[in-house]
This record gives sequence, structure tokens and C-alpha cells, in this order.
Amino acid sequence: MSSNEITLNNIEIDTASLSAKERAELEKAQPMWKMVLTQFMEHKLAVVGAVIITLFMLIAVFANQIQAITELDPDAQNVANRYLAPMTTAQVGQDVRETEIERFITTHPEAADKVQKALVEKGIVQVAEADAIYELAARDVKEAVTALTSLQVAEAGDLISLFKDFETFHLFGTDELGRDVFIRLVYGTRVSMGVGVLVAIASALIGLLIGSLAGFYGGVIDTVLMRITDALLSLPTIPVLIVMAAIDLSKLPVLKAIVSTSNESVFKMVIILCLFSWMTVARLVRGSILSIREREFVLAARTLGAKDSTIIVRHMFPNVIAPMLVSITLGVGESILFEAALSFLGLGIMPPMPSWGNMLTNAQELIYQAPFLAILPGVLILLTTISFNYLGDGLQDAIDPKAIRR
Amino acid sequence: MTTFITRRILQTLAVIVILSYVCFYLMSLMPGDPVDMMVASNPKITAEDVARLKSLYGLDQPTYKRYWNWMTSITQGDLGYSRTYRVPVQELMGPRLWNTFLLSFASLVLSLAIAIPLGVISALKPGSRTDYFMNLFSFAGISIPSFWLAIVLIIVFAVKFPILPAGGTQTIGEGPQSFWTELMDRSVYLVLPVLSLSIQQIGRFSRFTRSAMLEAMRNDFIRTARAKGLSRSKVIWQHGFRNALIPLITILALSFSGLFSGAILTETVFAYQGVGKLVYDSIIGNDYNVAMISFVISVSMVLLMNLVADIAYGFADPRISYQ
Repeated sequence: MSSNEITLNNIEIDTASLSAKERAELEKAQPMWKMVLTQFMEHKLAVVGAVIITLFMLIAVFANQIQAITELDPDAQNVANRYLAPMTTAQVGQDVRETEIERFITTHPEAADKVQKALVEKGIVQVAEADAIYELAARDVKEAVTALTSLQVAEAGDLISLFKDFETFHLFGTDELGRDVFIRLVYGTRVSMGVGVLVAIASALIGLLIGSLAGFYGGVIDTVLMRITDALLSLPTIPVLIVMAAIDLSKLPVLKAIVSTSNESVFKMVIILCLFSWMTVARLVRGSILSIREREFVLAARTLGAKDSTIIVRHMFPNVIAPMLVSITLGVGESILFEAALSFLGLGIMPPMPSWGNMLTNAQELIYQAPFLAILPGVLILLTTISFNYLGDGLQDAIDPKAIRR
Repeated sequence: MTTFITRRILQTLAVIVILSYVCFYLMSLMPGDPVDMMVASNPKITAEDVARLKSLYGLDQPTYKRYWNWMTSITQGDLGYSRTYRVPVQELMGPRLWNTFLLSFASLVLSLAIAIPLGVISALKPGSRTDYFMNLFSFAGISIPSFWLAIVLIIVFAVKFPILPAGGTQTIGEGPQSFWTELMDRSVYLVLPVLSLSIQQIGRFSRFTRSAMLEAMRNDFIRTARAKGLSRSKVIWQHGFRNALIPLITILALSFSGLFSGAILTETVFAYQGVGKLVYDSIIGNDYNVAMISFVISVSMVLLMNLVADIAYGFADPRISYQ
């Protein structure tokens, strides 16, 4: 930044005190990315947005690790603990405890035997040895764990960790099936962000292809492609998406191979959203290519005998990447909103796979019992889309040379 | 001008026909046709009965033939029969269309009334604190999922502080009332849906108003008007805002599709009896006649609005000429 602070009047004084190395640094032209970065950093909210997005991306990527650390299962249902308030600890039901203990006794018969003996000897439980551990399990989990530790039996270690699992901590409470909301939100981040990013990138590629074809060749190709683009742009998105989402894609012969049953709804979502979100990029690319087409370097390339594909890919694409980046960023936010809306209507990502949208599906009926269930996923959607929109805004300001002059 | 309008009308019609065919084809891809449903609900049905029923309803014919039959009956004024509501589709559509029109119109008026002053104020002081907060507000408006906002509004205004109804179109079982009481009753039910539908539009409109106004105020004639000693409000509204109007009309035209998309979500959350909810319910409930008609009508309305806006440019800005 020091180079910016030098004004014309004191330039001699300033540079005189500089070393040769620093002087060379000043005289060197700034690379493009550095200028963009400097400009971008000035847009405070865009930087905040970038930080939030990075955070969510990390959560999405490391969802499995988060699950391993917290030992929570997004699909584990617990009917006894439905609608728990945030920040509560829940204890597993007796039936689950008994089956777990039975499994422990059959797999570790010697350890179980020692623990049982010790329990009866110390008088912690007053029942037969075979029932000792079960009797302990009927008590409060914390009490049972302290009792087990007080035994000072080396083999009790596995049993203690088993008992500790009977108590789960729910940071954001539980949903209508007693599943932990926190870990479902973590996995929902993966699904929602994944769909959003995938759709934005794929539709940008479609738009790039169609826009460059229309812009480069002009004439009939341009007219036909642009009429289709305009027609699709004027459609009300949600009704069309609802119709598309309601159909059974496997009835279409082409898609039968791609769509597998396990994550059919995710692929379906990506395909449908891609079909209706490439238009803005196509128009943008067509516009820039139309103006680039008349430039001298394209003429030069053509005179040198370059093929059409070479001219488009090597000479034109580098010129449209910057505005496309902005449009991809804005597209992610939009796709996340559409995915959430469709999943909310029950037509998008299918349960039990969690997504921010389908976590809100039941929320509407639950607003009396558990309003926080309706609030949390929405806050995440809002936070993510607003971050992407600010990031896009910041990128636009940074890339657009007109904005620098302002 | 006339040739331009005719060409645009023909284009719009072509889009509607192509789209309705595509939609017709897609509906045939939905799981289960009407006869499949009858089979599912009646275990005694035989294979011959199924074949007979399919040929009775013309379901054994290829899609293009069925589409042609459907189109001919539509042009003769027969919109078909709703399987869910057990009434002809015509009777269903009228009040639904009116309800959706009320909702969208009220939301459009409200969002314009809020967004234009907001946009103009922040354009007059770019970089100020007001501008900053306006920017934050409009970004939040654009990014907020409208269905979630609707749920939050219900939680706040219907559950925590029960001052407004959580959903519905009007109070049921009140019987015939005077015009004013009915109007009051209906507007109470409109408050939350309109609010949740408007936030996104306000965000979008105010951003565009701001940039259009910034552009307009940069013109030389604004400086001339100021130098000539015109009052501040006259410069802003008569010279500046009038020139910012043209890009605004574009956004207004494009917003109809967003408005209708939003209406589906809003109507579903609030159980508001409009076309949007009808589209959703009929597609979910496999009510094909209703689904097709309501879809075609909603798309046609949006396309028609775009057409009207296209023609309106010519009147708003004499500089635009149509070849």
C-alpha cells in the first residue's frame, strides 16, 4: 500500500530513503491478480462473505471427520428424545442400552465377568452377577460412569466408553424423529453447497458453449440460440422446476444410465437446475464475444490460419473468464435458494438425506412445538446466499476497471 | 411499430404452444397416469378393463395425438374436469386467478412504494451510512429464502404474538357480508403473504433504482438544471428520476416471473387459495387437467406481461424505435 501513499510533491524525499530493492519493487508493474486482490480487500463485506463461505466449505468437506469427532449419527433416530431444546444432553432409552450391553457381554466375556464380579463385591449393585451391568445401566449415565471408574478394573475401559455413548449432547437439539440437528445441518451443508456449486459451474459451462457458438457464428445459429435463451429466461422458474422435479427421470431413456437409485434426487436436482440456469451466462458470453470478434488479435489469429475452435478457446475464452467468475459466484447463491425451495416443497433432495431445504419441510407443522427447527436451516441458507452475493459483488468491483476509477 | 407488435405476439404464442407441448410430454412422464390410479384403488380390476379404460381416455395413443385432442377441446372451451375437486376446471380457475392477482398486485405496489424512495435516497448520497444500510438491506432481501421468511413471519406474528392469521384466504363460515367487512377480512389475511413476497422484490428494485438513478444523475442536463436554479426536488424527480424510469421498466417486466415463482411458495406456506398453490397441489396430487391448465395460464400471464412491457418501452422512451 505504501506505493499508493506517495504523492507527487514528496516523491523525491520518499524514494531517496528507499533501498535499491524497494525501489525496484515500486517500479515493477503490479500483476493483474494483485490489483484485483487489493481492490477486493477494500470491499469489507465481500471479504466477510469469502470467510463465511470458506468456513462452510470446510464444514462440507470435513463432514465425515466432524461426525467422527462428535460421535453423532445423522440418521440415528431416538423416538424418546424428540424435539429436544438446543444445548441439552439426552440419554439413550433402556431397550437400546440393554441390547448394547448384551452385545458387549458376548464379545468381551472375560472383561464383562470381571466387571460384574467387582460390581457385586463392592456392593454397588445388590443383584446376581449376571444382571450386575444391566442393573447399573438402569441408573443415570453419569452415576454409572463414576461407579465404573471407581471399580479400578483395567478391563472396564471399553465398558466405560460404551456407557459414555449412552449420553449424547445435542448442540442444536433434536428433530421430529429425535435425530441430532447439528450433525444433520453439517451434512446438509455438504448437500446444499455441493448442489449449489455443481449447478453453478455446470451451467456456466453450458452457457459458455452456447454463448460462444451464438456470438462467434452469428446469423441463424445466433438467432435460434438467443430466441431459446430469451424464451427460457422469461419463464417463471419455480412452476417449471416443480413440473420438472415431479417427473420420473428414469422414464427418460437417456438419463436412465446416469441416475442411480441411491442419490437419484441429488443428480436430478443438479440436472434440472442446470437446464434452467445457463441463460444469464450465455447472454454474457455472447455479448463479450460479439465485441471481441471484431478485435485485431482475432483477425491476426485467423490470418495465421487458426481454426475456429482455436480462436474461440485460446483467444476468446481468456477474455470472458473474469465476468464469468462473477456470474458463477452469484449463480451458486441462486442455485442454493432454488434447491432449498424445491426441497422445501418436497420435490428436491429426498429424505433421509439431509439438505437445508428439506430440513424445513416439516418445520412448518412444527412451529408450535419447536420453532428453532424452522429457524436454524433458514439462517444458514440466508447466511450462505448473502455471502455468495457479496462475494460476487466484490469480485465484480475488483475485476471491473471502471470500478477502480470510482 | 405494428409489425413489431404482431411479431412479438406471434413469438409469444409460439413459445406458449411449444411450452405447453413440452409440459404435456413431461406430465406423461410423471409416475402413474389416471388409469394406474384407478387400478391401485380397485384390486378387482382386470387386464381387459385396464386396456378398455386406457382406450376410453385415449391414454394408449402417442403423446402428440393426445396433445392434439387436448388442444382441440381447449379451443372449444372445454378445459376438462378436476379429479381432486370434482368440478370442471373452469369453475376452479376463476376465483384462484383473482386471489393470485390480488396477492401479486398488492405485493408489487408495496415493493415499488418502498423500493423507489429507498433507491433514490441512497443514490443521492452514495457511500453514506444510509447507502450502506440500504445496500445491506437489499442484499439480505435478495438472499433471503421467501418461504423461510414466511415461516418466520408466522412464528412471530401468528404464534408468539397472535395478531394475524397464520394462513388461509378469508375467514371461513362468516356468510355473506357487507363489502367493507369482507374487504377488511381479506386484507388481514393478505398482510403476511404480501410482506413475505415483497421483501425479495424490494431488495431487487431498490438496487436497480439506485444504479439507474446514479446513472441518470451523472448526466450533463442535471448540472444544467441545477445551475439554472431549479429546486432540489424538481431536479431529482422531474429530470433525474424520469430518466431512471426506463431501466426500471425492464426490471419491472422481468420481475413478473419472479413474482409468480414467489407466489407459489408463499401461497403454499400460507395455504392461500391462489393459482400458485393450485399448480403445486395438482402436480403433487396427479390432477393432470388442472395441472396443465394452471401451468399454461401462469406461464402465459408472465409472457403476456413481458410483451406488454416490451410495448410500453416505446411509449416511455421515444428514443427507442422498432424496426
